[in-house]
Amino acid sequence: MSKTVTLAHGAGGKQTAELIDQVFKAHFANPQFTSDDAAVLNIGSEKLAFTTDGFIVSPYEFPGGNVGKLSICGTVNDLACMGAKPLYMTCAFVIEEGFPMDKLEEIAAAMEKTAKEAGVCIVAGDTKVAGKGQVDGVFITTTGIGQIMDGVQTSGKLAKPGDAIIVTGDVGRHGCTILLARDEYGIDADVDSDCAPLWGTVESMFSVTKDIHVVRDATRGGVGTVLYEIAEQSNVGIRLNAEDVPVDGAVKGVCGMLGLEPLYLACEGRLVIIAPKEEANGIVEELRKGKYSANAAIIGEITEDMPGRVVMTTEIGAETLLPQPGGELLPRIC
Amino acid sequence: MEEKKKITAREIIENYDGPKLRIMEVCGTHTHEIFRLGIRNILPENIELISGPGCPVCVTPVGFIDEAIMLALEHDCTIMTFGDLVRVPGTEMSLAGARAKGARIQPVYTPTDAYEYAKEHPDEQVVFLAVGFETTTPSACMAVQMAKKDGLTNFSILTANKTMTNAYRALKGSADAYLYPGHVNAITGAKSCEQLADEGIYGVICGFTAKEILTALAVTIVKLQEGKPFFKNCYPRVVTQEGSISGQKMIEETMEPCDSEWRGLGIIPESGLQLREEYAAYDARKKFALPKVEGKPNPACRCGDVLQGKCKPSDCKVFGTGCTPQHPVGACMVSNEGTCAAWYAYNR
Repeated sequence: MSKTVTLAHGAGGKQTAELIDQVFKAHFANPQFTSDDAAVLNIGSEKLAFTTDGFIVSPYEFPGGNVGKLSICGTVNDLACMGAKPLYMTCAFVIEEGFPMDKLEEIAAAMEKTAKEAGVCIVAGDTKVAGKGQVDGVFITTTGIGQIMDGVQTSGKLAKPGDAIIVTGDVGRHGCTILLARDEYGIDADVDSDCAPLWGTVESMFSVTKDIHVVRDATRGGVGTVLYEIAEQSNVGIRLNAEDVPVDGAVKGVCGMLGLEPLYLACEGRLVIIAPKEEANGIVEELRKGKYSANAAIIGEITEDMPGRVVMTTEIGAETLLPQPGGELLPRIC
Repeated sequence: MEEKKKITAREIIENYDGPKLRIMEVCGTHTHEIFRLGIRNILPENIELISGPGCPVCVTPVGFIDEAIMLALEHDCTIMTFGDLVRVPGTEMSLAGARAKGARIQPVYTPTDAYEYAKEHPDEQVVFLAVGFETTTPSACMAVQMAKKDGLTNFSILTANKTMTNAYRALKGSADAYLYPGHVNAITGAKSCEQLADEGIYGVICGFTAKEILTALAVTIVKLQEGKPFFKNCYPRVVTQEGSISGQKMIEETMEPCDSEWRGLGIIPESGLQLREEYAAYDARKKFALPKVEGKPNPACRCGDVLQGKCKPSDCKVFGTGCTPQHPVGACMVSNEGTCAAWYAYNR
């Protein structure tokens, strides 16, 4: 590992995993330490999910949301992925000296609205102010606890050959939005972030069946990174059909111009779901009724061959590997 | 109807069983699309696709990076560049390395962005790194013309602009036929490649959708089997016989041909462009009186052989070990349109 921390260590890919393994896991390891989105804790007779997440997105406001909305969605969605109804949250602010008060108000208001929608209460917090230039704008850390539904068990390790892979909507929207909001490329496109709290989506899905093996939110690194992680954790192969992956026309256009793969752009309101093939159509049908998952689609399947790899059937019907995620993803996406 | 055509092109490719054919896709975007679509995986064994020197980042010589670093560190210039160039290794360091030493290196998407920046920052000397082929050169010319019109004294460009025609001649023996880069021909017209057929250089102008690439490939195979001289424009929706007259005029007014070094291929006569004398004030080499720089590429790197189809990326000793997209040794590993980067991403 390199002698200093680089931006690639924060990109959510291979280098992040290395950093966690070699530095944090080495010191923090215990039976509950998790590589999933949230830890599962048995306290008394309750089965709880517990998670935390930091938000340093730049710019702090963008089409479709701001850092406040994002900070609630990120933690709510990590809990939801464990099949947990989000109950309580805490939030810690690090604010730069000189930050406009009205913008802070807007951020808090977005948090209030999003928490209400997700049915979660913010019960404690912390406020720190750092000198001008010691932090950029406002950084927020949220922690959440949720109650796992009876009979639900999800994990990146549980994908089985023959399972279907579902995404809950078009991919790459948040990453594309942030990229454009930074105005570094001189491209205008009508794209807004998919940032959304997804407990309702998850709850409706489990109303169809409890037999769902993996639920992951495709944040940093996008759907592609999540699929490679699942392939590794479950030691299975993944076969995708490129034409079935929903991508918004504007996102596709921007990706074409900049040579980016939408599967590797971040989402903040999209889930990757892996469930037995015979349940898949029912799940998709139910998802399509929801406001955050109207474009849900089956995009591929889990296979026994090529463990650890993601193979794509391309638009011409040829097969090729989906390139593995690298360290070149956009910094400060969430 | 269209569906049927697509299948036919694919069938021609898949069912080819004649003598071995070597076809060079010249353009970096083609290289990337061919990998992304999995076209290499449907080729029969006796068709070899060679990724040629059409990615501007890949052919930019080491000495050019050294010159840019000299401008940044010794002349305190603000360097504005297409992002991919930042990680291309120079003799001692890349522009990213120079940035770590305090150099101002700013990625931009178009040359006119660099011109705008120069206008807004009169206290900085701004140099745009002008790489690329006929496709991007007109916009660099436009930035220079705008700067001259405004009387800007803090803007110049470091030219490494290249033209394709003499490169096709220089690489004649490397392949049986070329898939010509449609974007370049959109500027230069079909006529520029038509003339080459008389010299025994054959090829097909190729578009960028899956169907266009498959069609161009199938036409090339059929034509090569016929064994006669050939040229075909398979991208007529964009490429006209004469090309973009305004683009050609813009280049002609601002720049003139010169010999040019291509990374790994050496100097190809009359294959580059430099600013004309009346724009000398915007030529960073002249403005800052740069000495002649001879870059030293890493001797282990075989990018030059890769670009000529003399070896596969995986034949290079440092490929995938010392040279990865995270830590590129050669230029072909830097851009995602580079042959080595594409090979690394799709072949492991």
